[in-house]
Amino acid sequence: MTFSVLMQSIISGILVGGVYALIGIGLTIIFGVMRVINFAHGDIMMVGMYMTYFLFTLFGIDPFLSVLITMPLMFLFGALLQKVFINRILGTLPQNQILLTIGLGLIMSNTAMLAFTSDYKILTTSYSSSSFNIAGISISEPLLISFLITAAITVGLYWFLLKTDTGQAIRATAQDREAAQLMGINVKWMSILSFGIGSAMAGTAGALISPTYYIFPQVGSAFTLKAFVITVLGGMGSIVGATLGGIIIGLVESVAAVTISSDWKDVVVFSIFLLVLLVKPSGLMGKSRM
Amino acid sequence: MIPTNPLHSQRGASAVQVSLGMAVIAALFAFPQFVESPYVLHMMILFFLSTLMGQSWNIIGGYTGQYSVGHAAYFGTGAYSTMILLTTKEIAPWYGMWVGIAASVVLALIIGSICFRLRGPYFVLASIAVAEIVRGTALNLTDLTKGAEGILLTDMPAFKIGQTVITDFSSKVPYYYIALVLALMIIAVTWLVQNSKLGYYFQAIREDQDAAHSLGINLTFWKNSALVISAAFTSLAGSFYAIFVKFIDPSTVLPLDLSVQIVLISIIGGIGTIFGPVIGSLVLVPLSEALRSNAIAQGLINSGLVSEESGIGIFLKEHLAHAHVLIYGILVVVVILFMPDGVLGYFRKMTAKKKRGEA
Repeated sequence: MTFSVLMQSIISGILVGGVYALIGIGLTIIFGVMRVINFAHGDIMMVGMYMTYFLFTLFGIDPFLSVLITMPLMFLFGALLQKVFINRILGTLPQNQILLTIGLGLIMSNTAMLAFTSDYKILTTSYSSSSFNIAGISISEPLLISFLITAAITVGLYWFLLKTDTGQAIRATAQDREAAQLMGINVKWMSILSFGIGSAMAGTAGALISPTYYIFPQVGSAFTLKAFVITVLGGMGSIVGATLGGIIIGLVESVAAVTISSDWKDVVVFSIFLLVLLVKPSGLMGKSRM
Repeated sequence: MIPTNPLHSQRGASAVQVSLGMAVIAALFAFPQFVESPYVLHMMILFFLSTLMGQSWNIIGGYTGQYSVGHAAYFGTGAYSTMILLTTKEIAPWYGMWVGIAASVVLALIIGSICFRLRGPYFVLASIAVAEIVRGTALNLTDLTKGAEGILLTDMPAFKIGQTVITDFSSKVPYYYIALVLALMIIAVTWLVQNSKLGYYFQAIREDQDAAHSLGINLTFWKNSALVISAAFTSLAGSFYAIFVKFIDPSTVLPLDLSVQIVLISIIGGIGTIFGPVIGSLVLVPLSEALRSNAIAQGLINSGLVSEESGIGIFLKEHLAHAHVLIYGILVVVVILFMPDGVLGYFRKMTAKKKRGEA
């Protein structure tokens, strides 16, 4: 294996990792604010993928541009899920919360299968397979664009959470729900807001990878698992951690694919996950919540 | 005696209950003498298998409160051990299944020693991760497992019990009896667990780990014991599935979906009760099979609600069968939101309310 092959896999790993980070951030916000592990996260992302696919095939809207439509729609979708289902089970047994989100995920993926069949759909744009060379290393164009959009969204989210009143209220709710409530913060509204933001992040990630990934109803579960690995690695509830975790997992996958074999990359990722759970269950950034 | 909690009131059984149980068992044993339809027998076998899987999970999940969402690992280990030994070494499944059980017990002890240090959601995630590692391994060890291609069983050796030799496995009847015995066995085991010291340890851990620990209950040891029992029977279910369906691959015996379905059998029926998984199977198997075999789509068309030529009719006929897992999703959401004690707990509560109302 040459140096350039390794470099290339590192770069594409980081680029894919950016999108993974977005998925992880969504999950970690939901966990941070509500202590609910969202097992439907990948399925929410799948909904975003189909949305992007139909916006492209029916209206000819570019997948990267469609983020502007997908993001608010997915926010509303998430807020609705929170209002109708998740709010009812906050504070009950964690097992029940997990099962409820598993059930919601099953409903989403199977409804998608009913509506769109289980056929693989491919979204082909003029730039889907185009790439450019820098110093002998080829960089995929759609991956680079999606990475840049991800970076912009992440920066925007940081700004929102750190600088705006609503963002600070969300962080306060994550730190201590009861204290936040005593300070006059409407925690129910914050929960709806954060599930909306989490879903919007997942949906956007779905939109961003749809030019480079197959779209099918069961695509979600693989990404749900990936999102868990990312958030646990970074530390449940930590946005910085999720960003780091996403990039690390992207890197590990991509480098494991060239150094070991692409068939074993999932096994490698889950072994690392298990190791983190054992050695440092609080993750890389476990202490600082958001 | 007035039971304080309707879910945990069945410590002993009355004479009426025992004789009723005996009658049901006798009827189930006589059943194939009267019903010859292979389809009905097939459904009954699936029902027994589902009871076996649900009840096995119930021991670790329901009684001990450790929500493993990775039980497909044991199911797959049982299925693969039996199938590989049968197809490559011609070792009969009733010996192969013991290898499967042994492998699953070893796997359970490894998983237990890793995962039982973690609690709540972290334990759930760890159990999923381990099952995914097992699936990835089965997918990639192509020399042993044939990878994604799967293993197809073409030859079945003769089954000897004493003097009788069974060679005809084209009929469903032998499978019916094996599955029935397995289901009865797991129910008996659960009953024994529930009414022994073991069961009290398990339930103490479920109710409050720290309190149980402070009373001198060795958490890791008893959690591992529960997991080993659960894994052994789940493995047995996998072995049975392999020889019954005669084909296995990683996407049917090791996926996350299977782990979730195993959990849901108990959840929907009612966890931590002997009849919960039975009720859960009774609800899930017919519903999911009716969807899978297109009976529901056909029924809607036959009843005249949906015309066969209309767009909806054609759509339902073509696609409804693929979405039989949908029913699991809808049921679990309904159960968690409206009947947190499962179908069984819900009806017990309802009848308890009625009785109170009358008194």
